[in-house]
Amino acid sequence: MADRGRAVTAVRLRPRASLLLVVTSLVGIVGFCWPLLIQGGAATAQAHSSDAPWIFLAVLPLLLAVVLSELAEGSLDAKSIALLGILAACGAALRVPSPGVAGFEPVFFLLIPAGRVLGRGFGFVLGALTIVVSALITGGVGPWLPFQMFGAAWMGFGAGCLPPAKGRAELGMLAAYAAGAGILYGALLNLWFWPFGAGTATAFSYVPGAGLAHNLHRFFLFDLTTSLGFDIPRALTNALMVLVLGRPVLNALRRASRRASFGAPVEHVPVRLDGPAPAG
Amino acid sequence: MIRFEQVSFTYDGAARPTLDRVDLAVHEGELCVVVGPTGSGKSTLLRAVNGLVPHFTGGRLTGDVTVDGRSTRDFPPRELADVVGMVGQNPAASFVTDSVEDELAYTMENLGLDPTVMRRRVEDTLDLLGLHELRDRPLDTLSGGQQQRVAIGAVLTASPRVLVLDEPTSALDPAAAEEVLASLTRLVHDLGLTVLLAEHRLERVLPFADAVVLVPGRGAPLVVGPAAEVMAESPVAPPLIELGRLAGWDPLPLSVRDARRLAGGLRLRLDGARPPASAPVTGARLASAASVSVHYGEVTALDRVSLAVGTGEIVAVMGRNGSGKSTLLAQLAGVRAPTSGTVRVDGADPAGLAPRDLVARVGLVPQDAGVLLYGESVGAECSAADRDTGLVPGTTATVLERVLPGMDPERHPRDLSEGQRLALALAVVLAPAPPLLLLDEPTRGLDYPGKARLVALLAELAADGHAVVMATHDVELVARVATRAVVLAEGEVVGDGPARDVVCHSPVFAPQVAKVLSPDPWLTVDEVRAALLGEPVRG
Repeated sequence: MADRGRAVTAVRLRPRASLLLVVTSLVGIVGFCWPLLIQGGAATAQAHSSDAPWIFLAVLPLLLAVVLSELAEGSLDAKSIALLGILAACGAALRVPSPGVAGFEPVFFLLIPAGRVLGRGFGFVLGALTIVVSALITGGVGPWLPFQMFGAAWMGFGAGCLPPAKGRAELGMLAAYAAGAGILYGALLNLWFWPFGAGTATAFSYVPGAGLAHNLHRFFLFDLTTSLGFDIPRALTNALMVLVLGRPVLNALRRASRRASFGAPVEHVPVRLDGPAPAG
Repeated sequence: MIRFEQVSFTYDGAARPTLDRVDLAVHEGELCVVVGPTGSGKSTLLRAVNGLVPHFTGGRLTGDVTVDGRSTRDFPPRELADVVGMVGQNPAASFVTDSVEDELAYTMENLGLDPTVMRRRVEDTLDLLGLHELRDRPLDTLSGGQQQRVAIGAVLTASPRVLVLDEPTSALDPAAAEEVLASLTRLVHDLGLTVLLAEHRLERVLPFADAVVLVPGRGAPLVVGPAAEVMAESPVAPPLIELGRLAGWDPLPLSVRDARRLAGGLRLRLDGARPPASAPVTGARLASAASVSVHYGEVTALDRVSLAVGTGEIVAVMGRNGSGKSTLLAQLAGVRAPTSGTVRVDGADPAGLAPRDLVARVGLVPQDAGVLLYGESVGAECSAADRDTGLVPGTTATVLERVLPGMDPERHPRDLSEGQRLALALAVVLAPAPPLLLLDEPTRGLDYPGKARLVALLAELAADGHAVVMATHDVELVARVATRAVVLAEGEVVGDGPARDVVCHSPVFAPQVAKVLSPDPWLTVDEVRAALLGEPVRG
């Protein structure tokens, strides 16, 4: 098992797909963070705080669809589709009994090892796909869906970007990543509905056009008071699951990817029938 | 129909090519059998036909493979799906849906066929393979042979012109294997499909083979030709062929009928010679079942069975499926207590023993040896076995080295061949040195060298004072190694005696050599060879 700790690339990111992924992710970041970034006085910000969520809501799924189709066009073969399908189904099944009860959301626990073993492109697609599938199963389709998809896709992508490590160090790193990414995911998902979810009059409401530092402070208060109580236990359970169950899951995924020989180059060399056959 | 032109193939990272300048042509309507030792490249050859090699596996393929005029260089596997149907070893691994009809229709759905066409072809296929009574059954309730027939049917619905089968019977017990091969020969004869078949149960398919491809392995060139010619030099051969080679018959007989017509001379040469009379083994009594009955609900699995096994005995338990063979083994292994009667192993009731005491007295290797294996690698499996049974670390690995030398400890148990898996399971079971060893259908999936190794190992164990009880359909195994045969029918013992007496004159249990040379009681080629060498050859 010479490939311990090395990620294979089950979904190869060609230059065009990479570019699209970056651009889409930038738009996605703006979609999440616009309340903090918007400039130009209270009036503009006020005006946009009602329409901005809806614009992003319409644009983000389209962009995601473009990225996914580009990935499918270039480098999704039967093997990666099969693996994606199975893992997305497993992830969705993991999500069914756990609609966030006491912060228990084991879906990320599968996503992170998968991104780690099968690469960032695979992690990105798997994250987005898992959320869609589980939303269809649990009936959780709503305006939050594209934001959840982005969050999970980034989480899978990030897991594929982690540096090489082996054994306990690898598990520790993944657990820490699971905890950190879990908290970040929670915060990001708060961000998208914070402008209209927290009213206008409280100490942690969004104040249109009040500047980055001020709003960031208010958002932190909002996050702290509303969801950190869920996010922290969730982060901890995910980290714990990675520590306890990560090893067998990583091994199973590595074996599957070894068997599927992802990334083994295919060469087809015709021989001239009149010439000497090339050696082996 | 299938043409290989100067095809060489090297797996990614491999030092040597698996296929080396292969030239092969299989013509329309031919049944071509691929033989060769395990690991010689048979599967690689077969998977190159529909382009899985190299499109799925990666690697470097030189030369050209064409099927029905389509080159695998230009057509990926999915675009060959309507021409080539591929069936693997384990049918359950290829199933996508849950029920027979759905599985049959699934291939066609992927090819985007019209629903009315799909409906008709499903019906046709059900009839063709005799599956109509099973049409609504969930796939996991089918027997192995039925599952494999469904897997073949699922491929046939795409109406391919070429059928490629990679050891379709190696995961099946002999009865199921017969069932599948019978269906297959019928397809060849009725539909004129071109079939490329890798198989180690050669005695059933050779009579129908138009051509045999011998893959010797280690880069040696393929040998292609009519069955009788190729089998003359094949390192892998059924007893019938070996007998033919020994007797110098030309052409080699491929069926018992052909051989019997040639055997007059050999019987004369053997006239007067008797097989070595094996002294009945009379070891100390090790295990016994006294009037044991087992009921599963309404079903009587065993009905007042009495059996005593002594040290040094190798007892073959024979009988059709469902006759109680596995239940008898389960009783001796203490898997469950009998409904009535008593079981004793080494003086104790096995069902009442603590696990650690039990494994030190009796070891059971079940039909699917893989169920004993749950480690991440061969090495991990061995050390886990040492730990579980409180042995000195390294014991199991040492036993494994004796059972099958040179196994890579890094391999995953599920990636092993059937023979290697059996060897590993045997090592795990044998490590605590239980005096009684129970084997359920041990030759499933073994090729001839694998069987020879098993026979040698069992004989060695018996000589060491172990007792072996094995449930098997494999009459050649019984002929070569069993000292005693017990025949079960409907849960009752209907025959019990020295193996030679029990199997020789039964039309069902007689090995090939006995069928050819009856009424003389010869069981194996080795006996005949010894007899021929021991006396001057007459005219």
